[in-house]
Amino acid sequence: MPGPYKETDLTERVEAFLSDLKRGGTGAGPLRGSAETARETTALLRKITAQARWGSAGDLMEIIRKEGRRMTAAQPSETTVGNMIRRVLKIIREEYARSRGSSEEADQESLHKLLTSGGLSEENFRQHFPPLKANVIEAINELLTELEGTTDNIAMQALEHIHSNEVIMTIGRSRTVEAFLKDAARKRKFHVIVAECAPFCQGHEMATNLSKAGIETTVITDAAIFAVMSRVNKVIIGTQTVLANGGLRAINGTHTLALAAKHHSTPLIVCAPMFKLSPQVRDYSKVRILSKVNVHCPVFDYVPPELITLFISNIGGHAPSYIYRLMSELYHPEDHEL
Amino acid sequence: ENKETNKRMKESIPPNTLKKITFPTSRERHDPDMASAVAAIRTLLEFLKRDKGETILGLRESLMSATDCLTGVDSSVAVSSGGELFLRFISLTSLEHQDLSRCKKVMEERGELFLEKISMSRTKVAKLCHTFIKDGAKILTHSYSRVVLRVLEKAAAEKKRFSVYVTESQPDAAGQHMAEALRKLNVPVTVVLDAAVGYVLEKVDLVIVGAEGVVESGGIINKIGTYQMALCSKAHNKPFYVVAESFKFVRLYPLNQQDVPEKFKYKADTLKTAKNLSEEHPIIDYTPPSLITLLFTDLGVLTPSAVSDELIKLYL
Repeated sequence: MPGPYKETDLTERVEAFLSDLKRGGTGAGPLRGSAETARETTALLRKITAQARWGSAGDLMEIIRKEGRRMTAAQPSETTVGNMIRRVLKIIREEYARSRGSSEEADQESLHKLLTSGGLSEENFRQHFPPLKANVIEAINELLTELEGTTDNIAMQALEHIHSNEVIMTIGRSRTVEAFLKDAARKRKFHVIVAECAPFCQGHEMATNLSKAGIETTVITDAAIFAVMSRVNKVIIGTQTVLANGGLRAINGTHTLALAAKHHSTPLIVCAPMFKLSPQVRDYSKVRILSKVNVHCPVFDYVPPELITLFISNIGGHAPSYIYRLMSELYHPEDHEL
Repeated sequence: ENKETNKRMKESIPPNTLKKITFPTSRERHDPDMASAVAAIRTLLEFLKRDKGETILGLRESLMSATDCLTGVDSSVAVSSGGELFLRFISLTSLEHQDLSRCKKVMEERGELFLEKISMSRTKVAKLCHTFIKDGAKILTHSYSRVVLRVLEKAAAEKKRFSVYVTESQPDAAGQHMAEALRKLNVPVTVVLDAAVGYVLEKVDLVIVGAEGVVESGGIINKIGTYQMALCSKAHNKPFYVVAESFKFVRLYPLNQQDVPEKFKYKADTLKTAKNLSEEHPIIDYTPPSLITLLFTDLGVLTPSAVSDELIKLYL
C-alpha cells in the first residue's frame, strides 16, 4: 500500500534533515549557507504537504507547526528554518481564504477591524476543499522559485550602489555580499577591505574569492576596523537574521563595525534576502562556543536599527523603519510563536 | 478620583429638550480601573441607545455635542480620542446600512462587541510586554499607569524577580499611588523625585511608561515628566518602552511641545476658571518618536513608524 510507505519515507527525510541541522551547528558537518537551508526546508515542507495525511487546512497547519517546532529546537540559531515555516503557514492561510472566497486582509488585526467586525470570528480552518492541496503546493513552488533567484536579484542592484574608485569595507564571509561585489566588478573598478572576523577568520576565504574575480582586496584584523574606517566610502555587510525592529543578528564584530561606521558617518548597507526576516524583536539568545580556555565567545552580535542606513533585499532597497511592514506582508501575526 | 470623574461625566450630559434622556447610576461609578476612554465610549453608547433622533446626521451632531460635554469634565487626550473613535465607528457603520433603525441596531450590537474587545486589550498588552522583563531587571516608570501596572502584575505572576523605581510625579503625587499598588504585589519599589531621573538611570535596565495618547508620528502624550525621562534614557542608551491600548491612537501630529492643543494640556477645571493660561502648569507633555524604542499595543509590538500605518488604515 502506498500510504504507510510514503509516511516512513517522509519521516526518514525529516529525521535526516533534523540531524543535518544539529550537526551544522556544532561545526562538525558541512557548513551550509542559509539560502541552502531555506531551500531544503521549503522542499521538505512541500513534501510534507504532498505526502502527509491531512483533511483540512487546520490539520495541515498543525502538522507543519509540530514539525516546525522540532526543527527550530534542533538548531535554534538557524532562524531561516522558522521563517520558511511561517511563510508556508501564511501561504496555507491565504489559499484557504481564497478558496473560501473571503479576502486575506480580513484577519489582520487593526483598529479598523476592531470597529467594523460583526462577530467574534474564530477561524478554525476546518472546511475541506479538494483543490487546496494543489494550490498550496503550487504556491510553495512559487516560493521555491523566489528563493532560487534571491542572490541574483540582490546582485542586480549592485551597480546602483557601488561607484568607481570607491573603497568598500565588509566583514567575514557572506555569499550574498560576494555575489553583490562580483556583479559590480564587471563594470566598475573599486577596492574592497575585508575584516577577517576572528576566530573563524572567514574573511580570508572571502578575500581569496574576491581577488579571483579581479577585485583589489585587502585583509585587515578586527582591531584595525576603526583605524581604517576614515578611508572607507561604504560598508556593505551580510547578516544571519534581520529582526522585526529593523535590527540585525550578525556575525560577531558587526556591531563594532556598525559603530565605527556611525562615528565616521559612513553609510552601512545590509544585503539580506527576504527569507532572513524573522519576527523576533530583540536578540535574547547569544549562542556561545566554549573553547578549552573557557572563554565566552559569542558567535552573533546584535546591531540596533539606528546604525543601519539601508537594507538591500531581493525586492529592492528599504529603510530599517520599513521592516515591520515587510514582516506583516510575509508572516501572519498568529504564527510569530510557532 | 476616577470614580468621581466618571460619575460627573455621566451626569454632565444635559437632558435634551427634544429627547428625554436620563442617566441611571452606572457601573462606571464602581470601577476605578476602567480607562477614561473606555468610560467615555460606554457613556456615548448609552447615549446612542437612548437617542430618539430620526436621521444619521442628527445622531452625529448630538454625539458630537455629547463628546464636548464629556471633554468639559475630563479634558484628557484619551477621552477625546475615545470620542473620535466612536464617531468614526458610527460613520463606518452608517455607510453600510441606509435604514436608520437597522443601522442603530447594528451599531448597538457592534458597540457592545467593541467594548468587550477593548476591555481585553490591557491583558493582550501585558501578554506581549512581560517577556521583555528579564529576571533581576530594574525598571523605571513614571507616575500612575494602569497598563504598566497590569504588565508588572503579569511579570510578577510569571515568577520574575524585578524591582521598580517610580517617579513621584508632581503635582498630584500619582507615583505614590503606583508605589502602593506595587507594594501590594510584593514588588520592591522605590519612589524617587522627578528631578532624580538622571541620577537613577545608571542603575536601571529599562524604562516602561504608559501613554494618554499615541499621536500619528508614533510619539506619545503622557504625564509631564515623560519627555524628560525619554531624553535621559536616550542619553544613557536604555530602552524606552511605551505600553498603550489601540484606542488611544489619536489624529494629532505635534512637531514640538507648543503644538499640542491647549485643551489637552490643562485639567478641565483649570481651562474653565484660569484667567491667564500661560501662568498655569501643563499636566502633559509630548515625547517624539525618535526617543521611543518600541510600543506595545493590543495590535502587536509596533515600532513608532508603524503607528501611522494603523491610523491611516482606520481613518482614511
